[in-house]
Amino acid sequence: MAKLPVAEENIVTKFGPHKNYSPKDGYPGRDEPDALVKTHCCFCGMQCGIQLSVKDNKVVGFEPWMEFPFNEGRLCPKGVQRYLQNNHPDRLLSPLKRVEGQGFVPTSWDEAMSKTVSEIKRIQEKYGNDAFSMLSGVSLTNEKSYLVGKFARVALKTKNLDYNGRLCMVSAGAGNKKAFGLDRASNNYSDLEYAEVIIVAGANISETFPTLTHWIWKARDRGAKIIVIDPRMIPLARTADIHLDVRPGTDSALYGAMLKYLVDNDMLDHDFIDNYTSGFQETIDAVKDYTLEWAEEVTGINKNKIREAAELWGKAKTSFLLHARGIEHHSKGVDNVVGCINLVLATGRIGRPYCGYGTITGQGNGQGGREHGHKCDQLPGNRDIENPEHRKYISEVWGINEKDMPGKGLSAYEIIEAIHRGEIKGLISICFNPLVSLPNSNYVREALEKLEYYVCIDFFLNETARHADIVLPGSLQEEEEGTTTSAEGRVIRIRQAVTPPGDARTDTSIILEIAKRLGVEDKFTYEDSEAIFNELRVASKGGTADYNGITYKRIEDNMGIFWPCPTEDHPGTPRLWEDKKFKTPDGKAHFNPAPYKLPGEVTDVDYPVILTTGRVVSQYLSGTQTRRIGKLVDQYPEPLLEIHPKLAQQFGIKQRELIKVSTRRGEGIFPANIVETIREDTVFIPYHWSGKKSANQLTPGTLDPISKIPEFKVCACHLEPLNEIAPPSKESTAYASV
Amino acid sequence: MKNKTYNTKALLIATGLSIFMIALVFFGSRKLQNFDAALVTYLFGTVFAFFGIVYRYSVWLQRPPTWIYFKRGITYLVTGKVFSHFWFATKESVENIAFQKFIYPRGKYRWVAHFMIAVGCTSAFLITIPLTFGWIHFAMAPNTISTYEAYFFGFKVMDFELGSIIAFLTFHALNWSSYLVIFGSLYYLRRRLTNPGLIATQSFEGDLLPLILLIAISVTGLGLTYSYQFMKGFAFDFLAVLHAVTVIMFLIWIPFGKFFHIIQRPAQIGAHIYKKEGMKMGMAVCPHTGEEFATKLHIQDLKTVTEQLGFDFSHEDGTSHLDLSPEGKRSRLAQAHLKARLEGGNLFG
Amino acid sequence: MNYTSFNKNEEFFVDMQRCIGCKACEMACAECETNGQESLIHVNYVDRASTVQTTVQVCMHCDDPVCANVCPADAISKDENGIVHTANTERCIGCSNCVMACPFGVPKKEESYDLMMKCTMCFDRTSVGKKPMCATVCPSGALFFGTRAEIQEMRPNSTPINTFIFGQEVVNTKVNIMMPKGSTELIIY
Repeated sequence: MAKLPVAEENIVTKFGPHKNYSPKDGYPGRDEPDALVKTHCCFCGMQCGIQLSVKDNKVVGFEPWMEFPFNEGRLCPKGVQRYLQNNHPDRLLSPLKRVEGQGFVPTSWDEAMSKTVSEIKRIQEKYGNDAFSMLSGVSLTNEKSYLVGKFARVALKTKNLDYNGRLCMVSAGAGNKKAFGLDRASNNYSDLEYAEVIIVAGANISETFPTLTHWIWKARDRGAKIIVIDPRMIPLARTADIHLDVRPGTDSALYGAMLKYLVDNDMLDHDFIDNYTSGFQETIDAVKDYTLEWAEEVTGINKNKIREAAELWGKAKTSFLLHARGIEHHSKGVDNVVGCINLVLATGRIGRPYCGYGTITGQGNGQGGREHGHKCDQLPGNRDIENPEHRKYISEVWGINEKDMPGKGLSAYEIIEAIHRGEIKGLISICFNPLVSLPNSNYVREALEKLEYYVCIDFFLNETARHADIVLPGSLQEEEEGTTTSAEGRVIRIRQAVTPPGDARTDTSIILEIAKRLGVEDKFTYEDSEAIFNELRVASKGGTADYNGITYKRIEDNMGIFWPCPTEDHPGTPRLWEDKKFKTPDGKAHFNPAPYKLPGEVTDVDYPVILTTGRVVSQYLSGTQTRRIGKLVDQYPEPLLEIHPKLAQQFGIKQRELIKVSTRRGEGIFPANIVETIREDTVFIPYHWSGKKSANQLTPGTLDPISKIPEFKVCACHLEPLNEIAPPSKESTAYASV
Repeated sequence: MKNKTYNTKALLIATGLSIFMIALVFFGSRKLQNFDAALVTYLFGTVFAFFGIVYRYSVWLQRPPTWIYFKRGITYLVTGKVFSHFWFATKESVENIAFQKFIYPRGKYRWVAHFMIAVGCTSAFLITIPLTFGWIHFAMAPNTISTYEAYFFGFKVMDFELGSIIAFLTFHALNWSSYLVIFGSLYYLRRRLTNPGLIATQSFEGDLLPLILLIAISVTGLGLTYSYQFMKGFAFDFLAVLHAVTVIMFLIWIPFGKFFHIIQRPAQIGAHIYKKEGMKMGMAVCPHTGEEFATKLHIQDLKTVTEQLGFDFSHEDGTSHLDLSPEGKRSRLAQAHLKARLEGGNLFG
Repeated sequence: MNYTSFNKNEEFFVDMQRCIGCKACEMACAECETNGQESLIHVNYVDRASTVQTTVQVCMHCDDPVCANVCPADAISKDENGIVHTANTERCIGCSNCVMACPFGVPKKEESYDLMMKCTMCFDRTSVGKKPMCATVCPSGALFFGTRAEIQEMRPNSTPINTFIFGQEVVNTKVNIMMPKGSTELIIY
């Protein structure tokens, strides 16, 4: 049913991706805009402040917002170009239906809605409620995230709701909950300023969170030492004091060895460990054999560098440890995260000025979105869907019977597996492009083709949406009011700069309409976004992610409020744990043993090279938005295979030669970029592209047992030079690849 | 850039050529027989403009970078395959001088407007200058009452019937030019008054005044026509003076202001020939990037020119900073900066 | 030209070792009203095969600009604030003398326009008291526009210098580059 209705090329011709450029003299009216709307970037977790210029209900440009405290006008290339989406030729302007042989043709809202509702009912009556699933995403505001969570449980009555945060920082979330009982970066970024030592583990900050660089450099101006842990010499690593070029998949061995070094050399904060933590002994027992020599053997990092790093970390008076997807996208992502946290807890440097720790959340609302309930095991306020008290409280807020509240559902990749197995028959998606962003994309495609009904809400026809039966044109971030929570835990205001163009509607109104047609209008009637936020506040009250004291007005007056903020007179909490009262059941911070385990797939004779994946600065996630912005595409037009000259020589690979990269799951062809800035045993491909240029054809669907995050960052591959030099990058059409 | 207040060589050339020009006026108008005394103010204006243009042009040519282009351009044009060079120069002139094709990529409307001004101005010059010099005059053909004859330099070039289309077009040619100039100039005026980038960088005398002058000339010129055709000569004298004043201002302004680009533009073709010929002699390879980036001739000449201008980018080992491509220069600067930073012991702070 | 609001207290400070090569400045440069969506700032890898080092180059606005000196068409001028302006569109003949002679590699030949274009320190913005686009958005502080006091406070261990030595030539500029404390010049070998 959900195979493509026409050849993919035809869909691309009509719906893009097409590259959008600003006209030579800018969009008309740029010079005299009707309004400059103070809002935030739609992309990463930094949520930089930006002013959008609006003329005649169109976004025509931007002006830096100098007053917003995190970025003070600073932006990355994506932020500068973000204004090109509202005025984009690919923008969906009316509902579309799939017509076999014709492709996607416009249809009326009424027909699209009727069809959707009748299919939901048909599938749920025939196969059960849980056979209709929902996939969501955390580019959505807090209001929409909350609404999606409620919609799935109350209107769809399915347990199978999950979100693309599953591919983001769930390992960090799980690790933080284990260690602290709460999932948020412990500090805001101004605590970086006077940190003596900063560890950046698996976070390509200068490409994925460019505006955070300012805070790191600021610390270095004050003399901070920086330790970068990454298999590649990323821009941050070039000037780092120590670059630990870790072999992909061996991070926990490194942290284990560093912890052992701290213990052996008594670089510990005994007072903190004794009074405020638990689990220390088991944790150090688990690493008692992790000598520097052993670590060098496992991680491939020179032991002297590991020692130096441990010395720096051990002796520091203030410090900050940051990590991101590099250590989290693993079948042992949670182990890696707790391994980092163990280093922080062992030195007691948390809950004080300039003593910080945190994951850098990737998506725009990766933080807020993961707190309010579109995660398969979670309810608003970061509550547990299996905890009877939590279920009871939220059921009351929602006005439903607790027995009708579905239980824990499947995670994102597991939903795809269940579709593949034929257990799930229907899917509604919003803000998620799994065909590009999930691993093992050939398998994902097979699953999509098995769906009986798929309805997609999006503003562009993303690659996954090409498999849909109905596509509902939703709204861009700047087309609806709301809030997001940045990676620092700062709740901020997203402004509606313009209304959705054409027949497109706001995401909220679409979800409310479906809910209404499913017969639960009474539970889905809101005056505006603020009304949804106010319900969210109540729903989060008493949870760990407590937004109760945050109002739109307070956010606007203070340029953001840090949760937890239980009451309206509470100032918010930029720095957690100053009271040393952790949110774990025993009130203590927990050490967790993190013994080293092998990654899900290791190299062998057939697949002798380690493959790792990641991002480039000009693209964002699955590229639905950024592969449509001309200058961002031109900056890095196609995915390249980064390979060290020694490995290249071993395979007889020349610069820009086309290389067939194969794994047990698929193969793809990429031009080689021979650089000394990567480990000799590892190759790297960025993942933003689709189809034949997708790195996720190669990656495995191995999941972390706790966080269910897929192992994007390590697998085994084979390289085959094709004896053909690639045409120049600027001629590449990878952005639209089918 | 380091000019003294006047330039003797240029003064001599300009004076000589101006005398020659006056001689041409004298003989071209058959010893002033065909000269229209009413146009004498225009004649002085034109001669003064001519003097100024030649003077400025001569000063300009003497600048080392200009001279090298001029010299190379002329040399290449007359050596080797002369015919093919002239063909190239002609093609280039049509494309770049007549049609100004390089403006098109900057903006379609900008090109259209510029082309309108260019055509309007050129045709107006072609008509008025020979008229002023007495090189063109019209006379009734002997023994007819309706046939006009046009003379150039005292020689008959054509005749036409009064009331014919040719007559209409010929007698109104200046009006057509005026309309083209007005519409073109209005487009640019609007652009200069609304585009923030231009507003920030333009000056009144350099950018706005020339457009206003063009419009003023055209409007007063048209006014003259309409005054005697439809308004029985209303304010004709006033308009005539106003027209003369604007035209003479325009003429005098040519050597000093924006309109000098009309005279200067052929240098562009010189630059194209220079590049084309230079490519035949081989490309310079950047020692940093290892890629070709300019012609060897260009880099060689620049070393000479910069030296003449008082810049010395040579290193002690005989190489020059100018051997590097722009990217190479930027990279070498960054490497030098990295080295200095590392030697200083700290990359930050 | 509008000189009245030109901010004379603020200066441009560059430190290419802070550059992360993100090209936010390039994107922002194109938004500058004087540039017509062309980017005139340069970010490039110094030697990608061996390092991820990038460099960022704005026009340094030389005291005695080589570009203007070598221009055969008198198309480049320096104003009373020391800003070296982009080529005058009607004069520039696209010969590239300035492109090849600039010791910093700044001017850019726009082939389709047959025109040189270069950074004017965002004259549309600086002339009305705003900061240049590139230095406003730069996320790494590689480009900074502000007062001497501000940079002194932020980076006490560095000294801004504006003297550069290329071979035998000493070039002084309006724009500063941040160097180790106590430096007076940067020698480009």
